[in-house]
Amino acid sequence: MLSVGFKALFQREVLRFVRRPKNTFMPPAITNVLYFAVFGLILGGRIDQIAGFDYILFIVPGLIVLGAISNAFENASFSIFHGRWNEYIHETLTSPLSYVEMVVAYIAASAVRGLIVGIIIAAVGRLFVPISIEHGLFLVATMIVITALFAGLGIVGGLVARDFDDLTVMNQFILRPLVFFGAVFYSLETLEQAWQVHVSLLNPMVYMVDSVRYGLLGYSDLLEVAPAAYAEFAPFAALGVLTALTVAVMALDVYLFKIGYGLTD
Amino acid sequence: MPPAIETTDLVKEYGDLRALQELSLTVEEGEFFGLLGPNGAGKTTFINTLVGLVRKTGGEARVFGHDVEDDYQQARDAIGLAPQEFNVDRFFPIHEVLEHKAGYHGIPEDEAAERADEVLKRVGIYDKRDERFDWLSGGMKRRLLLARALVTEPDLLILDEPTAGVDVQLRHDLWELVTELNEEGTTILLTTHYIEEAERLCDRVAIMNEGRKVTVATPDELKTRGTDTISVRLESPPATTPELDGYAHEVTVSGNQLEVRVDDGGSTAPRLLNDLEAMGHEIADLEISRTSLEEIFVDLTGSEDRTVTRSSASSADGDVEENCDVEQEREREPEQEGVV
Repeated sequence: MLSVGFKALFQREVLRFVRRPKNTFMPPAITNVLYFAVFGLILGGRIDQIAGFDYILFIVPGLIVLGAISNAFENASFSIFHGRWNEYIHETLTSPLSYVEMVVAYIAASAVRGLIVGIIIAAVGRLFVPISIEHGLFLVATMIVITALFAGLGIVGGLVARDFDDLTVMNQFILRPLVFFGAVFYSLETLEQAWQVHVSLLNPMVYMVDSVRYGLLGYSDLLEVAPAAYAEFAPFAALGVLTALTVAVMALDVYLFKIGYGLTD
Repeated sequence: MPPAIETTDLVKEYGDLRALQELSLTVEEGEFFGLLGPNGAGKTTFINTLVGLVRKTGGEARVFGHDVEDDYQQARDAIGLAPQEFNVDRFFPIHEVLEHKAGYHGIPEDEAAERADEVLKRVGIYDKRDERFDWLSGGMKRRLLLARALVTEPDLLILDEPTAGVDVQLRHDLWELVTELNEEGTTILLTTHYIEEAERLCDRVAIMNEGRKVTVATPDELKTRGTDTISVRLESPPATTPELDGYAHEVTVSGNQLEVRVDDGGSTAPRLLNDLEAMGHEIADLEISRTSLEEIFVDLTGSEDRTVTRSSASSADGDVEENCDVEQEREREPEQEGVV
């Protein structure tokens, strides 16, 4: 049973981004129109099919992941940091909400924003190419897990940041490169050197993009490139690990709130 | 019923700095309690320890019997805090800010909306309910902080310098309101720089200095601890300083003006007059000036802190300016919505 306090904080967090669509939903919509137009239509027309899919269709899952996790991360980190900066996070901290309720409310609201952005990007992609969902339940589960994971990481970022520049650094110089090298725009099969594949497999984003691609298109790079023993259950194993990671990050968030890291003197 | 606030050997350290030093303090339920002290005395640190914004280094702190760390939810639920700084959510109209705050305290949506309207009317800014915080004047912002503290109907209302930088009218409105709340049964903890405020409102005051409790007493008790000055104008200047042993702490002569410092001016004056007449002096005029709480405060804290004053105008302006600077500094960072 969700408490009244939890619902109030969750509602506050959702209203904050829902009432500012020009800042929260329009930018990813416009950016992805550009991605699909330039990479999909103009350049994609000159690229052969990848794994049997038109290039424009192949990049849809990666762009969804890129938008969803970036927004989940940015929402949580901004909300926490802006609240710290202007000290209105004290309204929450001085309330009788438990630390678990606070963390789950912030994460859930940020994950909702990530999911909405993911849906917007899918809708934009649908304007350019027909999309059918192969494994709906798996796709939904993956999207919930990865947006919650990055919302949880966003809370850590919001607590650690000393100024707004730190948030930009986290997003632009850590998150974005990992996503771009996470097989958003290419298949692992296209990598010519074995070491390139091995290095890619160290990138957690590869598993997220691959899982969403499996859910949406029914195709998994990991099934093709991973060792045979693993390949059999690759997408599900990835989802399991991502879920465990999400729970671990949430536990870390609760711990940081409990000790007051970045929040109390 | 346990005390509203009970701390035992409360310690807060920031590296080498000890902001609270073994502070033991009890505030009874229903009391109007004042915390007085110069800047840096540890008043705000003490308050923030109670509400969870500062983590204590040692000792114990309880609110209505609930430990502020082990039973933090119960302790925080009992407290309404009007802080010194403007720490209000800038994204929402003020009535929604209040509804959210009430919601965090478990008050259902409909009731939260009613309460928000009610407290906005009570502090006199109901007509601004749809404005955002940034559009309010300084005085209205101060009223909103009080409204936010009241919207959860707290058993313990903590006011951290609520009248810093506000005009006379607002100060009187606030005094009236908090007196009313106290009469309705709300325990009130007030920190202030204005001695007059503590003297007028508080049942008891604690004087703090450098993180320590110097004393706890009623304002009247405190005033009896000071010395009074009896000024006597003589018809002609005395040849030597009169010997007034036994009751005068200090005697000074300037022309025909005599100043005698004694414990209790009222009861000592007849004896002084008799003694002076016995020495052959003719009395022209006499005046007794009682020790002010402010002078006792300065005595006890060993401080000439200029922010502790009876006349509020100069320090109040200073406070406003300081607050504005902080706000402007923060506002200089754009809302950064571009980032989100």
